[in-house]
Amino acid sequence: MTALAPLAGTPETPPAPESGAGPGDGAGPGPGSSGRPGRRLTPYWLLLPAGLWLAVFFVAPLFYQASTSVQSGSLEEGFRVTWQFSNYSDALAAYGEHFLRSFGYAATATVLCLVIGYPLAYMIAFRAGRWRNLVLVMVIAPFFTSFLIRTLAWKTILSDGGPVVGALSSLHVLDVTSWLGLTGDERLLATPLAVVCGLTYNFLPFMILPLYSSLERIDTSLHEAARDLYATPATTFRKVTFPLSLPGVVAGTLLTFIPASGDYINAQLLGSPNEQMVGNAIQKQFLNVLDYPTAAAMSFLLMALILIMVSVYMRKAGTEELV
Amino acid sequence: MTITLSGISKTFGDITAVHPLDLTVPEGSFFALLGASGCGKTTTLRMLAGLEEPTGGTILLGDDDITHLPPHKRPVNTVFQNYALFPHLDIAENVAFGLRRRGVKSVREQVAEMLDLVQLGDLARRKPRQLSGGQQQRVALARALINRPRVLLLDEPLGALDLKLRRQMQLELKRIQTEVGITFVHVTHDQEEAMTMADSVAVMHRGRVIQLGPPAELYENPRSTFVANFLGTSNLFEAEILSPQSTLGPRAEAAEKGLKPVEAGMSAEGETPERAETPAVAGTAEVSEGTSAAEVPGETRVKVAGADVTLRLPTSRCAVESVEGAEGVEEGRKILVGVRPEKIALLHPGEAEAVPATDNQLTGRIKDAGYLGVSWQYLVETPACSDLTVYEQNVERDTRLTAGADVVLHWRPAHTFALDAAQDAAAGEEVL
Repeated sequence: MTALAPLAGTPETPPAPESGAGPGDGAGPGPGSSGRPGRRLTPYWLLLPAGLWLAVFFVAPLFYQASTSVQSGSLEEGFRVTWQFSNYSDALAAYGEHFLRSFGYAATATVLCLVIGYPLAYMIAFRAGRWRNLVLVMVIAPFFTSFLIRTLAWKTILSDGGPVVGALSSLHVLDVTSWLGLTGDERLLATPLAVVCGLTYNFLPFMILPLYSSLERIDTSLHEAARDLYATPATTFRKVTFPLSLPGVVAGTLLTFIPASGDYINAQLLGSPNEQMVGNAIQKQFLNVLDYPTAAAMSFLLMALILIMVSVYMRKAGTEELV
Repeated sequence: MTITLSGISKTFGDITAVHPLDLTVPEGSFFALLGASGCGKTTTLRMLAGLEEPTGGTILLGDDDITHLPPHKRPVNTVFQNYALFPHLDIAENVAFGLRRRGVKSVREQVAEMLDLVQLGDLARRKPRQLSGGQQQRVALARALINRPRVLLLDEPLGALDLKLRRQMQLELKRIQTEVGITFVHVTHDQEEAMTMADSVAVMHRGRVIQLGPPAELYENPRSTFVANFLGTSNLFEAEILSPQSTLGPRAEAAEKGLKPVEAGMSAEGETPERAETPAVAGTAEVSEGTSAAEVPGETRVKVAGADVTLRLPTSRCAVESVEGAEGVEEGRKILVGVRPEKIALLHPGEAEAVPATDNQLTGRIKDAGYLGVSWQYLVETPACSDLTVYEQNVERDTRLTAGADVVLHWRPAHTFALDAAQDAAAGEEVL
């Protein structure tokens, strides 16, 4: 190989780096173009509906909640903004356990979703052939039923004396989970396992779909190239397929973890007071205790903690240089 | 490494992609599999790479049976059609991929050397998407060559490049192959690419190799209409064998009729004296062609269908197979006569006496004259074929040769070939 001379004359040069004219200044034709002045406003008109929607249903409530979270007073005397930041520390002190439990359950459910969803997405993307669309529809099919109904159905499935409990009990699976502290008293309902299972079930499609879409984009000739270059099937997955599916992994885990952290339906229907998540606590403060400032402070705390965790995660995942 | 395919075949469901195929690729050769898309050439290559399991047959690499070896265990590397560079790895890591998989610890030096070879050393840290098509192509080549495979497989490696770059890379690939001495098996649908680079070309059609040989032999002596049309251009017209053996027979009458159109545009009388010098069979000017009717051993004479024109060609260039009821080359057998456009010379009828007496000759009228730069392309209407294509080098063009002009066409019998008429005369014409 050393005897080889360099390839002769290579006229083409690498593509020039993107010039500064990015999409940022894309609001209409540049100076000197002969477009009508009205056309310069077109992008803003197009943004208007979404902007209004966000302003009315997101920004305004956000500010309202922010102000609520630093109010003090009572329902009878009325709440006033007194910049009472102790609402936050009090909420954290009283419900720290709920926060931890929420993130623990959500993280466990996310990992389970990944473990269950990745092989499925892989099969759909590379092996399903003509069944691909059918399987995709089956993945999405649960969405045709309401979230609440589906969770209620799980309540029936996992009910005491039901077939699932019976089967797992006779297989001594419940003994193991009980020993792990996930279940107790020979039952599934009102255990952490039930809540995590409910979360996993409910958010699985949010994991599968982004995974599928990133796997499906991978050119299968890359697999062949890897195998041609002495990679075993396992190495091919480790070095080529998985790195290339990372955008889907990141999107799927975020789409699962974030809503699961704030979920309270699963804990409400499948758990007991011992499995209450932060969502349950917020709901209770808002609707039962009517302590709006504490509820608002907890909402903001949840939002802030999720933001912190997500940005740390994104930074970690970003080092892989996502394609 | 010599590659030996014995009875190798591949079927996908009901479709047979490759019929049982026997092929030997000699060590160190540049071997091209040429054919239109869907002819089975890529499937054959993929079976060599191990990416496709053969339905039957065996593949030997040297003396080793690699038929059922998975791709990662074969000492064979591939340059893929779309390059298949790993988008998440930079150029250096792409090139190092094969070495790393084989547990080579320090790859840096070899990678740098390889990248210098393909003149991409300064782009080692770029990602593939930041490179142009030609650069990506060279990364793909470097990534395969760095493993020093016994055989390098190239699947339409230049298909995505523009014409100029493709020509340049053709020469580069050929040079690299000569220097490393690795056996190259190259799949392409581009006949020019195959002819430029390969020592040996196998033309594939509908899952079979229909002719195999050095490019010049395939081009000069096609044995089927598919090869005649797929490799370059051929003029094919129907004819009938007159005398397979060297039996003498004057062609005067035939020649006369064949030349009739010429008379309109030339002064036949003026020609007569010169022509008369030759031992003419008959008194007319046109008949002078008949003087060449003297039999040459090993030549076959044929009569063009629909016109009384007799042509001659070496019997060895008659690809007419024996079938039931008909021996190969025998009298009355229908054939297709072929001649390459660049073999034909065009003359103004006024200069027809310059035609060598031994040449095949036709007359016609120019329908269209196209300027191609290096050559002129003429479409000539003749009794033998209504659209005879002729390429004339763009050196000294007779300005009288314009559309509508009468012309005399002539070429050497040795440039004529004959094919079995029982095949589609237009096979292989559809250009991809």
